[in-house]
Amino acid sequence: MDIRLLRSSDIPLIQHANLENLPENYFLKYYLYHALSWPQLSYVAVDVSRPPKTPYDYPKIVGYVLAKMEEEPADGVQHGHITSLSVMRTHRRLGIAEKLMRQSQQAMVETFGGHYVSLHVRVSNKAAIHLYRDTLGFKTEKTESKYYADGEDAFCMKLELDFIREQLREEQLEEAGEGADKKKIKGEETAEDGENVDEGEAVGDVGRDPAKGSTAKADQKIKVKVGRGLGVGELIEKDESKHS
Amino acid sequence: MPQTLSTREANLFRTVIRHYEDKQYKRGLKAAEQILKKNPKHGDTMSMKALILNAQGKTEEAFGLAKDALTIDMKSYICWHVYGILYRTNKNFDEAIKAYKFALKLEPDSHQIQRDLAVLQVQMRDYPGYIQSRLVMLKARPQLRQNWTALAIAYHLDGNLQQAENILSTYEKSVTAAPLRTDFENSEALLYKNSIIAEMGDFERALEHLEAECKACLDRLAVMELRARYLAELGRKEDAAKAYRALLDRNSEHPDYYKALVDALGIAADDETALKAVYDEYAAKNPRCDAAKRLPLDFLSGDGFRAAAKAYLTLMFDKGVPSTFANLKHLYSDNFKKETLPILAEEYLEEHRGNSSTNGDSSKGEGAALYFLGQHYNYFMSRDLSKATEYVEKAIELDPKNVDFHMTKARIFKHQGEIAKAAEAMDRARSLDTRDRYINSKAAKYQLRNDENEKALATMGLFTRAETVGGPLVDLTDMQCIWFLTEDGEAWQRRGDIGLALKRYHTIFNIFDIWQEDQFDFHSFSLRKGQIRAYIDLVRWEDQLRGHPFYFRAALDAVSLYLSMHDKPQNGANGVEGSHTNGDDAAAEKKKAAKKARKEAQKAEREAAEKAAKQDPNKGGAQKSKDGEEVKKKDEDPNGVKLAATTDPLGDAMKFLLHLLQFSPKNIEGQIAGFEVYIRRNKYLPALRCLKASLALDKDHPKVSEQATRLRKALEGAVDSLAPKTKEVIESELATVPGA
Repeated sequence: MDIRLLRSSDIPLIQHANLENLPENYFLKYYLYHALSWPQLSYVAVDVSRPPKTPYDYPKIVGYVLAKMEEEPADGVQHGHITSLSVMRTHRRLGIAEKLMRQSQQAMVETFGGHYVSLHVRVSNKAAIHLYRDTLGFKTEKTESKYYADGEDAFCMKLELDFIREQLREEQLEEAGEGADKKKIKGEETAEDGENVDEGEAVGDVGRDPAKGSTAKADQKIKVKVGRGLGVGELIEKDESKHS
Repeated sequence: MPQTLSTREANLFRTVIRHYEDKQYKRGLKAAEQILKKNPKHGDTMSMKALILNAQGKTEEAFGLAKDALTIDMKSYICWHVYGILYRTNKNFDEAIKAYKFALKLEPDSHQIQRDLAVLQVQMRDYPGYIQSRLVMLKARPQLRQNWTALAIAYHLDGNLQQAENILSTYEKSVTAAPLRTDFENSEALLYKNSIIAEMGDFERALEHLEAECKACLDRLAVMELRARYLAELGRKEDAAKAYRALLDRNSEHPDYYKALVDALGIAADDETALKAVYDEYAAKNPRCDAAKRLPLDFLSGDGFRAAAKAYLTLMFDKGVPSTFANLKHLYSDNFKKETLPILAEEYLEEHRGNSSTNGDSSKGEGAALYFLGQHYNYFMSRDLSKATEYVEKAIELDPKNVDFHMTKARIFKHQGEIAKAAEAMDRARSLDTRDRYINSKAAKYQLRNDENEKALATMGLFTRAETVGGPLVDLTDMQCIWFLTEDGEAWQRRGDIGLALKRYHTIFNIFDIWQEDQFDFHSFSLRKGQIRAYIDLVRWEDQLRGHPFYFRAALDAVSLYLSMHDKPQNGANGVEGSHTNGDDAAAEKKKAAKKARKEAQKAEREAAEKAAKQDPNKGGAQKSKDGEEVKKKDEDPNGVKLAATTDPLGDAMKFLLHLLQFSPKNIEGQIAGFEVYIRRNKYLPALRCLKASLALDKDHPKVSEQATRLRKALEGAVDSLAPKTKEVIESELATVPGA
């Protein structure tokens, strides 16, 4: 087993693992959308012990975390979101999910200045809730009723990432401590809120996220322009404000 | 000649465009009709109308109208542009490029046409054309960094690394203000340039650039990994070791880091003690780390291996980790290890048997050890199926509701050739945890292996989205569930239903088409997002897309089915294969069942078609197709009746075969299939090419000499039809093939 960053070439087998394990499935393009928007955030666990049978074999994916940054956060705070996380039944109890999550969280802070990470989990999924709450320290924010296509509720969970920011700051101070002035780093800190102006227009749909907005009545769904129209116009996101 | 409109109609024309852009198709059409009433031969309006018709799914009508518009007004760039868009939306990119080029000739300053053309060119991998387009776009707007990056990408993909670097540097020099640390586009552009320098093989300069320019880049992991790699490449071992240690502190589950660290430390491959010490250090530092404990088992030998393996197995069994065998079976290529591991597991069992009273949780360990041994004896390198059964039964006795144990029981049945029992056992495992899709998928797979397509689909339906129109199969197809489609197709093929088998293989073919088109939007998306390295990675992977084993398997299935159709021509349209040579009652029974299933499917198809026909597509209903929503195209042949009715199976096979030969030339199965198709089509040179490729891959493959003999025979029979020169060439080549 090997834990490393996701590559485009992994995606068919990630999609395969997802289809085999979870009821929430996505088009290949939706995985690509993650891999090409936030390539630093998604990780895979790979079974490296199988010898390839042909030169064209791809490594078997036994676990993955598919993550993104919220493009237009409702609260205005930069944060990450876990789109999907899964580990093959045959590879459980090795702490793979936890390790995947930790790598992703680290990059959310380092690369995108994320303040927290959020996710949804089925209220009946005890193992996952245990991982998020007890192992990783997530807190339950609220319950979203009928979030999943089959009518099950979701816990909306959240983890503040200050502890990673704190670590990073210490590391940077240490590095800078070797002769540089510490003011510079502070100055850079404040620049964090500087905007990345990003002008773009829609370029068709980028897969879909059927787990979202799939509750019973069509009129409960609204179309929200995600990501400043960055080619994800057709994604249907649930209007969370209604439930908060 | 460009045609002019009155002011009123010119305004109306602008509304047509606006309505089209807002996807208000009905209003757009209305406005267009108004113009055409007064100016029936207005090319631009006709074109716009065609564009709207196309968006409404009326492709044929749209093309007809667009062509008429072009004949009326050849000099209108709008007409050519629309013609290009029609081709583009219908995925004929080559023709689209041609039309766009005409449009651009007539309107050289149109940014939109130029941009669309550029995207088409990179999609079709016309790199010289793409460079030209991006040059023009850069000259038009040099202030945009995107345009510089895009031109660099064009050169890079075309293989001109130096020019790519130059372009990026030119932009950098033109910027005076220091970019913000949080300027993501800048951060990524710097790393992109660094990756280009490294690709040229100049690690000295790459390291220099990385340390001077990329220290503050936001992708910290990339900076650390690149730096470590460059240091290692440059032989700066001490620094490289330090860099890899820093990486291991971030992620101690990445074997490459250990290997690189060991290299940098200069430890000899046979110095097991020193090697082990490196891993032990990280095992001690990270008590929850698996790699540091497991990887030493790869290089340790003798007593060292025994001790480390014992410690590892004990830890895994105590925790009840079910994946222990999966993580160790690669060691079985070493005989000593293959023999030692089960002994250690037995020892563990001895020590823990019956302890459950003293330690409440020890049944977990016992179960894990029994499970390990069950898998050990089920594995092809150490197979003893009666022993495997014994261990798994013991494990089940210990924990009767354990899904993993029952799953292995099913696998053992499969290896015994008891396919029906295997399917039953897997379904029993499924019933123990009906909320887990993994075991549900496995149960469906085993049902398919037992040719129970209908049952398998019902099993899959327990987890597909209930509201999908058309049921589980449509949902699985929409969600691109390749494994199911492949297994389902193979089962139909075994059952003799050629139509449905071909249908599944063609569906997989189409999914790969979609995957190839999926990159289209990213040519511009990625420029805006600025994640250039990830984009380059995508483009290179897409170039190899159809080399994927998922594709290979389905395509090979399709080719072999077409071959059998050629060899045993069918009478019926959806020909159920005639009973096999050993045609007994079972085969006849199967044939009957397949026929019945097909009849039912046809009936359902007819009913669905009637229902659809009654529905006004513009009024919505079950399949919502509101104005502005993309219309989902109806499947004209859901059961593959038309596919099976082909009169040219070998010709149809070519569509799949060419991909096999192009993208997986080193897979001998593809070459063997290629020979079979070509020899039947009397194409002796390509047949010879496949044979020679097979020979180079595996000269001892039994098929090689057999095919050589057949080719020789075929040549003898074809003396008259072959040019003497060709015959001579083939014969001299054949002389080098053994067995010929």
